Amino acid sequence: MNNTQQDDREGRIKKKIFDRFEDETAQEIKNLKSRPDFSPELEYFVDLLAAGRDPATISERTGRPVVALMCLQAPLELFHVFGLQPFKIFGGAMVSQRLSAPQLPAIMCPMLRSALGELQLDLAGQKGQRFLAWVAPTTCDWVVKIQDMMEVCGIKEKPPFHRLELPHMKDRDESQERWLEEVYLLKNFLSQLTGQKKIKRQALANSMSLYQKSWHVFSKLIDLKRIGLVPELWFMVISNSFFFDDVEKWTTAVEKALLTFKTKNESPDIFLAGSPIFFPNLKMLHLLEEAGLNVSMDDLCSSERIFPGAVYFDDVSEHGLLKALAQRYHQGCLCPTFADNDRRINNIIAPAHKDLFKGVVFHVLKGCHPFDLESLTLESRLKDQGLKFIKLETDYTSEDSQTLLTRLEAYRSALTN
Amino acid sequence: MGYKIGLDLGSTAIKMVLVKNNEIAWSRKVPTAPGQEALALELVKGAVSECGLKESDIDQIAATGYGKKLMSAAGHTVDEISANAQGLHWLSEGRCRTIINIGGQDLKVINLNENGRIADFKMNDKCAAGTGRFFEQAARILDTPLESFGEMSKLADEPLELNSTCVVFAESEIVSLLAKGVPKERIIKGLHHSVARRITHLLGNRNTPKSGDIYLDGGPSQNPGLLEALEDELLMEVKVLPNPQFTVAFGATLSLN
Repeated sequence: MNNTQQDDREGRIKKKIFDRFEDETAQEIKNLKSRPDFSPELEYFVDLLAAGRDPATISERTGRPVVALMCLQAPLELFHVFGLQPFKIFGGAMVSQRLSAPQLPAIMCPMLRSALGELQLDLAGQKGQRFLAWVAPTTCDWVVKIQDMMEVCGIKEKPPFHRLELPHMKDRDESQERWLEEVYLLKNFLSQLTGQKKIKRQALANSMSLYQKSWHVFSKLIDLKRIGLVPELWFMVISNSFFFDDVEKWTTAVEKALLTFKTKNESPDIFLAGSPIFFPNLKMLHLLEEAGLNVSMDDLCSSERIFPGAVYFDDVSEHGLLKALAQRYHQGCLCPTFADNDRRINNIIAPAHKDLFKGVVFHVLKGCHPFDLESLTLESRLKDQGLKFIKLETDYTSEDSQTLLTRLEAYRSALTN
Repeated sequence: MGYKIGLDLGSTAIKMVLVKNNEIAWSRKVPTAPGQEALALELVKGAVSECGLKESDIDQIAATGYGKKLMSAAGHTVDEISANAQGLHWLSEGRCRTIINIGGQDLKVINLNENGRIADFKMNDKCAAGTGRFFEQAARILDTPLESFGEMSKLADEPLELNSTCVVFAESEIVSLLAKGVPKERIIKGLHHSVARRITHLLGNRNTPKSGDIYLDGGPSQNPGLLEALEDELLMEVKVLPNPQFTVAFGATLSLN
């Protein structure tokens, strides 16, 4: 086979997968829009997800160049003050893995495998605009090695790539100081990227205020979820769409959406923990609903953890603001890649004792080792205290839906006994 | 009047029980094939006819198993883990605290509380290792009926150490052992022990009952060689009730109460 034939074959494979990728996305959009609880206030979020996640579309919508972000420890306010739109890279489509899988390890995070496959589709190149830069906090092994994996997958994204070295012992003072240095390095990187030598202290405070307001509105949505008014499917759609638009516009839309949730779900409440869930792979949430379980709390980084919480500061100097951001984004993060992560486990156990939910469903994507490992500690601690726990391991495939549903139905029985 | 039907539409077999006053009056199973509802309805007709009943004598039908939602005639469905728990709790007269269920394509360990409710459970992931399908595959490769496994296993002094319970890899391993002239009896005993070890891992120390009894059910539980291997690996007594493949279907009828 000569080079032209090979290029033609690869092109046809990409076209085939792209068509299926579009079908998969369209199917989930159809599922969402045909739900009886779909309302005009939710259309904004669904349409954001439907419109695609290439830099050109997002940049056109937000009026800002787009920087790809691998994980949530980099302060979003810093991107904002430099006039940039951070966009969390994720893969939710099952079909896009088919492009990347031949080049990658057999057992690896399916979310990133899907993201890499999607990047191989080169939607950015097709729309004529790539990410301005990539920023990757060094969280799990897969994220640490993402640049290498992009290279072996032949992904054409070659913009500046900046890593933030994440200290994995977050409760040490030395780690805090180290992380603050990394936040300064990120600031320098974004400064070079945009050509803005300095940022105004007031501008940074304004960006922080915007995100603070956004967090405040998002917290109200969380409060509604706690009392059974917001189905997790809609909560996930709203939080998944966070990076797709300007933070102010998104916040306004969330404020409007707060009024749409009026029907209380009387199913047993559960805490959903573990690996993130991204559109269009909302399989687990559909199954939870089908089994008659209501997610009243979660700690997924694609859901309730998109914000690190409220950022407080007394020192209004630039250093003071950056320090406040560094502390909140580091110490407030419950990512299982941290070595000292007892707070995450306590955040689950404490509300369980207050009867805020009946049991924990732990979602593990096969190959997502940090969550898998942390599930063992959590399971042991919960069961020692007589609390219910189930771990469901899955990957980006629909073929295990029936067995997962069987477990969830039985788990519901166990919770309601 | 007063009859109930329990249907367990599993991945490899459809099992049916006809129950009156919580006693099994009739039971039968057929292999799963396309058209599960039609097959199940044939079983219902067979039971009615053979027991000299009229269809109106059947008060209720409960369905469980992977195909439960295909059974439109069933007025009630229940998940197979709950049905298994209820069935064994009743049949063991409340003595059971742990069930090891070997299904056609899955393995389950279910812990019960004193009321027969599910306290906890574990299932294998999507892999047929150590399940009924694994034994069927092994029987085919060994060219030996599954029913003979128990007796043949007893003829071997020591089990052979088999490395794999994966259906695919075990096939090549068994073929290789046969080629080397290893007696089938030792291979079969080795198979029983490798499956028993897999069950032991799934059970874990946490799920080993501190009181009450352990019961094995599902089709492969009728294999005495597997039972012996399991007791050997667990260092505990494991009980098997008569007709252990019908426990789940029977439990489904109890969920009607």
